[in-house]
Amino acid sequence: MIRVLRGLITTAVLLTLWAGIVWIFDLPHYILPGPERVISVLWTRPELFVHHALITAAEISAGLALGGIFGLAVACLIADSPRLQRWTMPALVISQALPVFALAPILMLWLGYGFASKLAMTTLIVFFPVTAATLSGFRALPSSWSDTITALRGQRLRIFWQVRFPLALPFAGSGLRIAASVAPIGAVVGEWMGSAGGLGYLMLHANGRGQTDVLFAALVVLCGLALLIWGITNRLTRSLNRYQAFD
Amino acid sequence: MLTIRQLDLSYPGYPPLATIDWSIGRGQHVALLGRSGVGKSTLLKALLETPKPPQIQCETTRIAYMAQSPVLLPWLSARDNVMLGARLRGEQSSETAEIADALLDRVGLSGLAARAGGQLSGGQKSRVALARCLFEEAELVLLDEPFAGLDRSTRIDMAELCRELLVDQTVILVTHDPRDASDWLEAAWVLSAQQLSGPLDLQAFQDDRELIRALDGAL
Repeated sequence: MIRVLRGLITTAVLLTLWAGIVWIFDLPHYILPGPERVISVLWTRPELFVHHALITAAEISAGLALGGIFGLAVACLIADSPRLQRWTMPALVISQALPVFALAPILMLWLGYGFASKLAMTTLIVFFPVTAATLSGFRALPSSWSDTITALRGQRLRIFWQVRFPLALPFAGSGLRIAASVAPIGAVVGEWMGSAGGLGYLMLHANGRGQTDVLFAALVVLCGLALLIWGITNRLTRSLNRYQAFD
Repeated sequence: MLTIRQLDLSYPGYPPLATIDWSIGRGQHVALLGRSGVGKSTLLKALLETPKPPQIQCETTRIAYMAQSPVLLPWLSARDNVMLGARLRGEQSSETAEIADALLDRVGLSGLAARAGGQLSGGQKSRVALARCLFEEAELVLLDEPFAGLDRSTRIDMAELCRELLVDQTVILVTHDPRDASDWLEAAWVLSAQQLSGPLDLQAFQDDRELIRALDGAL
């Protein structure tokens, strides 16, 4: 209840500030439309925003799922081999250091202007935080734990699946929460580069036609969507905390 | 049971530590005292290794280890934590579950077998860890400050339990605090950066100043 109230108050303060700036500087609506214009376009054409938001939401969610699975799998594969980590880490880091903007044209060329290229870009952004966080989870095992497990003389695979993998899951969860906050970048950049739908597409389209109110409305919807996806990810990954055994 | 000849405890890149000779007879219960950083953990690790370094001759491969923290998997029940070794070796059965339940009874946790490890108190976790040690039916039991982080009365209870349940095993208890152990251990050895000395009479350490002198290698 308090959280809802806090959200409402923050929103109200931001809207007032926004309206105040427009009014004080007497800005024309094609530079900065007032909140009332943006709300009115959202109110009169909801189907437009829902249609494009659903496309972007699908890209982000699918990218989160695929990047999460991929990131977890890569971390599991290299967890036990410092040598493999030394060999793969530079490639993993480069995949993050290269701006997704730079890769976008290539991915467009290879995967086309449809869903696949946006999925690839979102996956690319998501998988690294998940891999890095999961790996740090594997490394976080205190020596008292590894000594105890060693003394039990278990089989390697059983130790991995019954002890080490579950213990790394809370770390993977926090990686996925970080990834969820940056995943919209991949989807929206992909849509800017070339697409027939999605909030990024809608923004470019509106911008080209001088419909600044639609541009801002799409931005507002994107903010809401990003928050929603982060909230859902947060809720889903919190259940992994039951595997939390040490800090 | 255990004979160590000229084992160097030094760690590469750190100041040199003692090179030790040590021998412990079957069924003996001894304390190993020492300040942190004198190589106690290195020694324990060497004892847990398979194969062991050639300087260590041990009559058994059945070695149980209890660490400073209880090391319970919070999502597994107390019973499954006790038989974790069997689970990890692929030996679990209804029989091992019965053994685990019986051991939980013996450490005073009857009725808590199904409770998740994460929902036990600190003292209860230590009891589960002790039951897991017993489950392994080891001949040599290494206790690495197993009572650290427990309050005084729980420590006394745990020491009492160890005395009762570890009669048949050879036990090495690594600790800072000989008062944990004085009523059930037979002898103490003191490891300093220079040497391993002992056996010393544990009663000698009832005075803290004596203990500090011993830990510094002055006795």
